[in-house]
Amino acid sequence: MRELVVQYLSDSISRRGFMKGLTKAGLTVTAANAVLTSVSSVTQAQTPEPIPPAATPPAPAQAPGAPAAAARGGTAAIAGVKQFQGSGGACFAEQLIASGVKYVFGNSASEDAQFYEALVDRPQLKYILTPHEGPGAAMASGYIKASGEPAIVMQAAVVGLANAIGQIFNAHKEQTPLVVYSYRTDQTRRAGRDGFEEVANQEQIVQPITKYTWLARRPDMIPEAVRRAFKAAWTPPHGPTYISWHSDFNDERVRTDIIEQSHFDPRMRVRPNPDEVERAAKLLVEARMPLLIVGDEVYKAKAAAKAVKLAELLGMPVTQARQAYANFPETHPLWVGNIPAGTLNSQTFPKNYDVVINVGNKFQHNGPAPVVPRGPKFIDMRIDRDSMGNVMLTEVPLVADVGLGLDDLIAAVEGLLTPALRQKAAERATEVRRFSEQARAMRALVANNPEWDESPLIADRLTHEIAQFADQDAIIVHEAGSVTLHGFDFNPLGGRELFFYYGAHLGSGVGMSAGVKLARPNQQVICLVGDGSFIFGPTALWNMARLQLPVIVVVYNNHAYSGPHSRVIANVPGGRMVQTGQFVHDYLGSPDMDMASIARGFGVDGEVVTSPAQLREALKRARTHTVEGKPYLLDVQVARKGVGWAEKPWIPPIQIAALREKKV
Amino acid sequence: MRALVLCAAIFLAAPAAAQQPPAADSGPQHPGREVLMGKCFQCHTDAMWRDHRAERRGWEAAIHRMIGRGGLWTAEEIKLMADYLGTDFGPDAPRAAPPAR
Repeated sequence: MRELVVQYLSDSISRRGFMKGLTKAGLTVTAANAVLTSVSSVTQAQTPEPIPPAATPPAPAQAPGAPAAAARGGTAAIAGVKQFQGSGGACFAEQLIASGVKYVFGNSASEDAQFYEALVDRPQLKYILTPHEGPGAAMASGYIKASGEPAIVMQAAVVGLANAIGQIFNAHKEQTPLVVYSYRTDQTRRAGRDGFEEVANQEQIVQPITKYTWLARRPDMIPEAVRRAFKAAWTPPHGPTYISWHSDFNDERVRTDIIEQSHFDPRMRVRPNPDEVERAAKLLVEARMPLLIVGDEVYKAKAAAKAVKLAELLGMPVTQARQAYANFPETHPLWVGNIPAGTLNSQTFPKNYDVVINVGNKFQHNGPAPVVPRGPKFIDMRIDRDSMGNVMLTEVPLVADVGLGLDDLIAAVEGLLTPALRQKAAERATEVRRFSEQARAMRALVANNPEWDESPLIADRLTHEIAQFADQDAIIVHEAGSVTLHGFDFNPLGGRELFFYYGAHLGSGVGMSAGVKLARPNQQVICLVGDGSFIFGPTALWNMARLQLPVIVVVYNNHAYSGPHSRVIANVPGGRMVQTGQFVHDYLGSPDMDMASIARGFGVDGEVVTSPAQLREALKRARTHTVEGKPYLLDVQVARKGVGWAEKPWIPPIQIAALREKKV
Repeated sequence: MRALVLCAAIFLAAPAAAQQPPAADSGPQHPGREVLMGKCFQCHTDAMWRDHRAERRGWEAAIHRMIGRGGLWTAEEIKLMADYLGTDFGPDAPRAAPPAR
């Protein structure tokens, strides 16, 4: 039989001859068919099988998507597996479709010509041209986050990839399953001469900030590389992946297997260890003051309602350290507010927690002190097992999909709750509710700021007005780094949603909001962005205009990098900078940038807002625009507040007018 | 493209264990100072503002800005802190000497 297989694989015998040989060797027809199917699959997956090049331009040998099996005399069909022949670029497109991709976010690359060619007859795969790879990748991330569906970013070799790296970094930090492709030229037939776009080991550029990088070694392996990328990116914990192959491969004609996503998705939904669940439940029910910290895995697992149920069972206060999403309803009486500074010590309430359970928060430790101080017992429930136990002493690790983990923990807690323990939980809930009501009243005092009505606006006034204006199910994309939001009452259970950032490579907000709107066309999307961040990535405005994505973009424009300004003073208190007012690094005015004019250049209407009264009218105009399907930008002039800001900030005396000897 | 880190105040915060509140002066203390000592240094040190000088109104505004960042105070506590800062860190108050290099 081995000889028969060899003959078949080398095309020395036909399919019929192969079958005849198998039955002659004693196999039943059913068994022979099974062998044939298996061998055919191996053939397609493992054997480089070049197809003679077609004429130029390549005339399709058959209709797009036509099974390659036809050329081989046909093989037994396997549901979800299609044999395909065509260019490498067409194979790429076919596998993307089979992987469930609807949108490709790309920037022009001539070496991807065969891929573009394949798109002409595959309208279900939509290519969105993004004028810069960074905002393009941010747009893809926004789409993926808001839709829960796969997408891909593609760009030209290393030159385009370099522009996207910042947003790949953000995806890495925020654990977004962003798949990125770019071709390479370092090992093609033209390589080895320091040629155009050639750099050695291109994939190593992104290796530290991706979950997985993979190269297709032959053109017929392009679909396999694509499948690997999507499988790795979407297997929890999520993260960006990068795939690449030699640009020549896109032009070669091959036959290969195209496999639907369901066949390579490991469906990794992990339940926690039952023994650890019991330990965690016991700690929680016996605690004097348990505290729940929620994080992004809750949002991703759509498990906010389960987090609410666990908190209510135990009368347990709930908080959150900085994350990308709001993971718990902020109007809930057990919600005690976000952790204001880096650690739980900065919380006003509770101070006497003795058991802390984290559900899905990756934690960003930005100082020597851990987010959860040592002392209380710590339970950590997450699927991101790699970041567990690194900084905090962990009493009970619960590696799990947090949705399933919460199910199990809730059941275990319910099993342990006696009437006396339920009474204790109820009393604790009353105490937490009392604090929450007081805290809510105290937060409202933000509007008592004596500068509340001034022009230019203080940032808190602008935030307040947006919170008053936003729809009850609005999505707020937040990239105003120096602004802490308040008054929105985010609620992942059908209320307002937050898409914040975690990675801090700037320029994500505008692109992110465009992608979110693409995914959620029936919800109001408002992008809040600082002027410093905005100017890193405004090109996605053009996408909003072209794709008719009615996003309201609000720029907090104080003509400065406020965050670095404050932190520099904190790092060098009383230094020469403070004494002289000479800060070289933070003032973006003189001349002042006009973001509304920039928006108009991209085809988006907008206006400059200078006063609170003008803001309300401008917001009405913004709503009118979005109702009509058009994006709108508000460039809101915001006051620079804090230590060391002069009315007219000093600017470094670097001007060459005095050096000019010729008026040219 | 450069990656500037323009982060929220939560990134500014020094850990509580490392906080260095202003040195206690001799003599009677303003009641607002006690509130400030108890309510502000759980998030940050005084390094960010001890060189700042402003009228009382300016300090009151600064305290209100901290509410947006998670500070929780009563109206009375805000008044006391603004009174203290407007007095001891008013426009004419002497500045601390720069740190030794």
